[in-house]
Amino acid sequence: MIQDFLQNDYLQHALYAGLLIGLISPLIGVYLVVRRLSLIADALSHVTLAGVAAGLFIQKKLNLFTEINPIYMGMGFSVMGSLFVDRLRRMYQSYSEIAIPIIMSGGVGLGVVLISASGGFNVNISGYLFGSILAVRTEDLETTLIVTSITLLVLILFRKELFALSFDEENAVLTGVNRSIVHFFFILVVALVIASSIQVVGILLVSSLITIPVATALQHTNSFRQTLIASILYGELSVILGLAAAYHFELASGGAIVLVSIMILLCVFLIKKVVYLTARLQKNRQRINS
Amino acid sequence: MSTPILKVSHLHFSYGNQKVLDDVSLSLEQGEFLGIVGPNGSGKSTLMKMILGLMPSQHGEIDLFGSSIAHFKERSRIGYVSQKANSFNLGFPATVREVVASGLAGKLGLFRRYKKSDWQRVDEVIEQVELSHFANRNIGKLSGGQQQRAFIARALVGSPDLLILDEPTVGVDAKSTTQFYELVRFLHQNQGLSVIMVTHDIGVISSYVDRVACLNKRLFFHGEAAEFQRRQKEILSAAYDYDIQLVEHHHH
Ligand SMILES: Nc1ncnc2c1ncn2[C@@H]1O[C@H](COP(=O)(O)OP(=O)(O)OP(=O)(O)O)[C@@H](O)[C@H]1O
Ligand SMILES: [Mg+2]
Repeated sequence: MIQDFLQNDYLQHALYAGLLIGLISPLIGVYLVVRRLSLIADALSHVTLAGVAAGLFIQKKLNLFTEINPIYMGMGFSVMGSLFVDRLRRMYQSYSEIAIPIIMSGGVGLGVVLISASGGFNVNISGYLFGSILAVRTEDLETTLIVTSITLLVLILFRKELFALSFDEENAVLTGVNRSIVHFFFILVVALVIASSIQVVGILLVSSLITIPVATALQHTNSFRQTLIASILYGELSVILGLAAAYHFELASGGAIVLVSIMILLCVFLIKKVVYLTARLQKNRQRINS
Repeated sequence: MSTPILKVSHLHFSYGNQKVLDDVSLSLEQGEFLGIVGPNGSGKSTLMKMILGLMPSQHGEIDLFGSSIAHFKERSRIGYVSQKANSFNLGFPATVREVVASGLAGKLGLFRRYKKSDWQRVDEVIEQVELSHFANRNIGKLSGGQQQRAFIARALVGSPDLLILDEPTVGVDAKSTTQFYELVRFLHQNQGLSVIMVTHDIGVISSYVDRVACLNKRLFFHGEAAEFQRRQKEILSAAYDYDIQLVEHHHH
């Protein structure tokens, strides 16, 4: 099987794209999860769907931009959606989560209307819904690489600000952290990561690679640094094992990756339980002996 | 005395049409320890937030370190521990060290990483608040009093000139509270730190602070701690029964 992955072009593309997404999704995921914003990923992925539908609509009805992948339109929508979420969240400060269903249903509504208005598309929408990692072309890989670089750059440059704002926004702003600049770049990166991870796991599963590896890491990490590292490790492990399983058993790749990541979560949970129980047993034994 | 580092003059503030601060004027000298007391809802936190620039002042002036608050940019000269500091997400994955270091983020500015000297400073303040033993412990797994000390360390790490503490000892047991006041007094006396502390501990406050301000919408007292102690009963009954008296007046 390793041979296949080394020799086969499309498998290689799939692996590289998967590894890049497996790196950046959990990374932004850490910042989203600790701020209780993990649902934003879902909302934005649905907005991306509307963008993709808009792109396809323009191609079919107006015969424009036929050379351009509609996912770029999706990215544009995702970016706009993310700025809109931010605005809504500030409008409803004490119910900030309300922004998410508004944006999410707006995205689905718009997507569905556009799809029906154009009388259906001859491309396979399910590729967008469930991911089509085996159809990753060289140019898609290039886009993913660019998005990865931008993401890493932003997260590294603003690392201390992002931490300070995530832990205690009021105090961070008070000590002079420039909330608006940092937040703008972060939300931009979130939108880009979501749009570009759609090919790997699909719109319906985008939030999985953003939240599940982080949820797994949070079970056992102490520091923020550890959480970042562990989340990346779990993300990459899910992608590698998921892809291998998908290829070997001929399964849908997005679903396989998500299921593997959930399995890892359960394994870590069990290991934690076992470690805890053995520690207690040992303590009890010591007490009996003494 | 030199010019005060904080000067509040004729400050008014309302939330909607509810008046919260009414013509409040007070000052803080360099190296002074000021205690602010007053009943719940008397506008203490609001006053602190206005001094910190978190709320726009509607009427009146606030001068910090000689410049009007509108032009005040040296945010890192002020350290702040909010009344709500320890209502953070308890599951947050961060160690005491990481949290304390975050107090430097604004001071260092964009695109600067923490250097070795920054981490040394972090460890230094952690030692000062006697948390060295817990430096790499998860912040959520500390006791309330320990967390409070971690937040003081975060406020101190940028070497501020003014420390603002809003009810720093809420939910902290008597022994830790005393320790905490001793710590603040130590910082005040040995490092020349100016301190404003909002508290409900009227009984002990006057033995730690230089001056006391008693607030309930308007200022009922602003003066030496000794004098406050002497006239405590009279001042407090005036300030704490302010609303009741008003009601009584209506009956006449
Ligand atoms: N965000 C807000 N919006 C509207 N009213 C507010 C707001 N925050 C405080 N208030 C009102 O302003 C008044 C003063 O509140 P503030 O928090 O300044 O009091 P405090 O002196 O700090 O009280 P405590 O001792 O309980 O902390 C209260 O009556 C409160 O109801
Ligand atoms: Mg208060």
